[in-house]
Amino acid sequence: MSATTETPRMATGASVYDPEHKSAGAFEPELLRRLWGYVRPYRRYVVASLALLLVTQAAGLGLFFLLRHAFDVHIEPAQFEGYTTVLAGLLAISVVEYLARRRQVWLLDLAGQNALLDLRRDLFRHLQRLSSSFFDRTPIGKLVGRVTSDIEALQEMFSSGVVTILGDFVLIVALVVFLLVLDAELALVSFLIIPGLLGATIWARRRVRKAYQTMTSRRSRMNAFLHEHVAGMALVQAFGREQIAKDEYGSINAEMRDAQLDAVTWESFLSAATDMLSAFTTALITWYGARLILGDVLLGARPDLTLGTLFLFVFWMQRFFQPLTDLSLKYTVMQSAMTAAERIFRLMDVHEFISEPTEAVELPAARGEVVFDDVRFAYGQGEPVLHGISFRVRPGEKVAIVGATGSGKSTLQKLLTRLYDVRSGAIRLDGLDARQYPIAELRRRVGVVLQDVFLFEGTVLDNLRLGHPEISEADAIAAADRLGLDRIVKRFARGYREPVSERGKNFSSGERQLISFARALAVAPPVLVLDEATSNVDTETEELLQSALKELIRGRTALVIAHRLSTIRDADRILVLDGGRLVEEGRHEQLLKRGGRYRELYDLQYRDQADAATS
Amino acid sequence: MEGAKRTVGSGPILELLPYYRRYRRAYLLGSLCLVGTIVLRLFVPWLLGDAIDDLRKLLAEDSEADPEHTRYRIAVHAGLIAGSALVGAYLRTWSRLHILGTSRRVVHDLREDLFAKLTRLAPSYFLRTNTGQVMSRAVNDMNNVQGLTGPVFMYIAETALLFAIGISMMASLDVWVTACAVLPFPLFIWRARALAKTIQEGSRAAQDSLGTVSDKVAESLSGQLVIKTLGLEAPDFERFAAHAEEYRRLNLEVTRARAKLSPMMVWLAALSMLIALSVSAPRIESGAVTPGEVVSLIFYLQLLAAPIGTLGFVISSVQRGAVALTRIFEVVHAEETLPDRAEHRRLPAVRGELELRHLTVLRKPAVSAEGGEAPPDRRVLDDISLKVPAGTTLGIVGHTGSGKSTLVAVLARQLEVPAGTVFVDGEDVTELAPTWLRQQIAVVPQDPFLFSASLSENVALGVRDASPERVAEAVRIAHLDVDLAQLPQGLETIVGERGVNLSGGQRQRAALARAVLMAPRILILDDTLSAVDTHTADHILNALEPLMEGRTTIVVAHRISTVAHCDQVVLLEEGRIAERGTHAALLARGGRYAELFESQEREPEHRPADEAPQEVPR
Repeated sequence: MSATTETPRMATGASVYDPEHKSAGAFEPELLRRLWGYVRPYRRYVVASLALLLVTQAAGLGLFFLLRHAFDVHIEPAQFEGYTTVLAGLLAISVVEYLARRRQVWLLDLAGQNALLDLRRDLFRHLQRLSSSFFDRTPIGKLVGRVTSDIEALQEMFSSGVVTILGDFVLIVALVVFLLVLDAELALVSFLIIPGLLGATIWARRRVRKAYQTMTSRRSRMNAFLHEHVAGMALVQAFGREQIAKDEYGSINAEMRDAQLDAVTWESFLSAATDMLSAFTTALITWYGARLILGDVLLGARPDLTLGTLFLFVFWMQRFFQPLTDLSLKYTVMQSAMTAAERIFRLMDVHEFISEPTEAVELPAARGEVVFDDVRFAYGQGEPVLHGISFRVRPGEKVAIVGATGSGKSTLQKLLTRLYDVRSGAIRLDGLDARQYPIAELRRRVGVVLQDVFLFEGTVLDNLRLGHPEISEADAIAAADRLGLDRIVKRFARGYREPVSERGKNFSSGERQLISFARALAVAPPVLVLDEATSNVDTETEELLQSALKELIRGRTALVIAHRLSTIRDADRILVLDGGRLVEEGRHEQLLKRGGRYRELYDLQYRDQADAATS
Repeated sequence: MEGAKRTVGSGPILELLPYYRRYRRAYLLGSLCLVGTIVLRLFVPWLLGDAIDDLRKLLAEDSEADPEHTRYRIAVHAGLIAGSALVGAYLRTWSRLHILGTSRRVVHDLREDLFAKLTRLAPSYFLRTNTGQVMSRAVNDMNNVQGLTGPVFMYIAETALLFAIGISMMASLDVWVTACAVLPFPLFIWRARALAKTIQEGSRAAQDSLGTVSDKVAESLSGQLVIKTLGLEAPDFERFAAHAEEYRRLNLEVTRARAKLSPMMVWLAALSMLIALSVSAPRIESGAVTPGEVVSLIFYLQLLAAPIGTLGFVISSVQRGAVALTRIFEVVHAEETLPDRAEHRRLPAVRGELELRHLTVLRKPAVSAEGGEAPPDRRVLDDISLKVPAGTTLGIVGHTGSGKSTLVAVLARQLEVPAGTVFVDGEDVTELAPTWLRQQIAVVPQDPFLFSASLSENVALGVRDASPERVAEAVRIAHLDVDLAQLPQGLETIVGERGVNLSGGQRQRAALARAVLMAPRILILDDTLSAVDTHTADHILNALEPLMEGRTTIVVAHRISTVAHCDQVVLLEEGRIAERGTHAALLARGGRYAELFESQEREPEHRPADEAPQEVPR
């Protein structure tokens, strides 16, 4: 038993992936660098967008400079010579601003969408490569979240203009500088209210966010309750629990309302406070500006301070408020984007792959010999499921594997196709260790027909050639005809070109099995592992399946995880598994006579079939 | 309310009137505050312009103004700006709290009423309407209605008031300049509306597309073993990539419209300002308008341009809200087909005799048949007559679609039936109180439902204050006790959607325990032990025997061997009773029943997991 301590072979760098891992959403340079890797191919869009952003901001500032000029030179003194030029300039600037802004938003989102599509594709491909043992211990829901909602969070970063945070900073700095240059004293007075504004928005925003979090969790609780009670309403009524259900829902509903009211309160406060502080600033500028002009201040009169400048201050300070109030909002979006990025990249750092052979070995000619040599295996950290299985299947031999549920039958198939690697011992195909075959080659040599038939959307023919574009249409159809599939598809107007509906709903389960037989036959692997389906099919299809099975395994090595008595009887040899051990082997009659485990299984599972057949 | 025709349009909104009325004081107060808020907000530009004019007059070369007075006036103006901002903020908060807060209250009430209605709808309603449809009304439609209960009207009223008051204030300054400056507004409103529509429709399409992406990922990951085994990685990736690309395409379409909308609004402000500036030049020269007034006008235009971008979304949400409301009221006004009425009777004791006389059930077309003509009614049960004496057992067999489930629904008093067709103890069921009658009958369905509650709560569902001993006894009879060891907290383990996922067989046995504890006069086992292996099933049936003694039991099954011991058996075919008698008599007869029995015995071990989906009318 000490041999089982050998760890499964994985590529180096494998870390334990914990989907619940909480992260702070910090702006780690490493994360940004990797994200940049995806944005990089589209950097031209990003650079152009940022350049346009600067143009937009400059145009916005320029507009007001020109406006001040118009006011001081033309409007205030009522001198309108050259006014048309000023107006033309204003028009030109506003058109430039409009066009630049439009293009800027578009380019940035285009870059973001493209980069995220690439990321999504890479992530999916990465998930495809991860070994099956990874999926045994990671909930699928979490992984789906990585590909969807986490990437959405990154998208939010692009589309909600968080990247323009850079532009906002430029704008804020530019405004501060311009206002200080125009009139330092008035500028400093104008800025007085800013700290209050920042404090209020950050404070209120935090409360809004909390209220929303509460709301989200209460909403999902409410929806879960609703779903359950709509689905189980017959039960509620049958047991006369209407009032209890209404009371329970009433309290959940009230909690939901209270959370919503909380959010409304803080949001109302936030928007009112912003408006108010902006108007306070206007009042402050008017009052202090007037005093400056009239010379009522410490530093003396400021006759050069024009009314136009005053006007400009009021306008600009209003413009100043928007990016400042947005700042905390954008920071939140940015934080959740970073959290999402960290989760995504941590998943991409999981290198739990079934390893490809490191050096190329000359592959033996395919004869179809399979050897299990003292194979031991356990799923993850669980109990061992195979305790040293050894057997040899000669080329062309038909072997039936029987055993109760949990005896380890399907594990044999998973090991042979290297969905998992053996813990110890070895599996050899035509004399060469399975681990020395490139995985694609191994899975070409070992064909598998599963109980669970997987049909993609597309035509029947597409499904026959699935994953094997090298098979010609004619070959695929010939293989299908040999199995009698032509008798089934002839009921469709388009025959083999009939589209398969979602999950193959337009075929019965027996017909789906027949398609998967034909798929395997078209590939013509030297070794075939077949997990016989247990589902009921009608008698006609059953006969068709039986004869198709014989045709399919003719001339190749076949390991059949058998459920049908006829299959077992026809086998050259039967391997009986029990609790992960090979307990008996031989032919049907021999084993029956022996009266061991096979006899037990036969009495329990196959007897009825035998009785029915002979009666 | 019965049979009243409802039209889509303003109709559904009128149905909200009772809810509005409940909160009319809050709405009124909120609206008053709203008017105050807008007046105060529009006061600020006027004050600012006036202050600038005062200052300008003082600075003019030939000024005769008194500097002290001007100082005083400007300080007053600044004070008024600050004051109106303060009061405005206060009123604004109040108006929002009242209007938006009340809208949350109205939706809360609407949700409450909808749920109460759901508890009153007959089981047949839930058979016709699937859970998803009801959920989409209770969740999505309810969200869309939220706007109609306050925010939308607040926004429209706010914008309308802003325009009405704003434009008249502007006109009082200068009619001509005002008229010219607001000229581009209608065009921009129209464009904004079109773009908003594109954005909203596109976003919905994108959301659906994201759903497809998510489903695809889930499918691929749960099928990863198969995909790897068969080497299907490449085609699987192609399918995923196609969905992901489609999602990007739809997103970009939304972006295209978004990229136009917000710059357009900035441009509107700039354009109307430019118009104001150019037409005001001659007016300033002639002295018809002062420079301070021009400043006021420009500030007004900024205020007016701001809400235009959102207006388009608001209009769409009224339409969406009205549609959503219609759908919600469809449920609220759905006919309660099996209500308890005053004239209904309750029998002092039930013996358990059941009788059907010439019962025919037509399947109604689905509730929300999407367009097209309604499919013709189908005879799901066709002239069924049978009698089950009290305390006997009846077996019902038949293929999927033969009408077994409908028959069970009739016997369990879940489906409406005409008078004079179904009798319990010789009494016409249409004269008995349905809720009372249902409590005399326990149905154990093939795919039982468990609430997210502890296993013992689920078992004791029908019996208030059931002692732990009785629950344990019921669990033992249902042969569920052997599984308790596997559950983390035994009987107190939380099961259901948000708890431990029980297997089909475990759920069936839990539902059986529930019925055992309830000990009704009539017990219906609707393919109850299909997910339990044959040995265990035999064991359970033996344990059930003392319980079934003296009770009327109906056993519905797919497999004939299950009903072999019943006092009488009926074979249903296409809604009719094809054959009836005892198991032995039917076999001896050598008809369909015997044929079916033989073919079933020949098949390999019966596997319920692969069975065709339960017969549930859409």
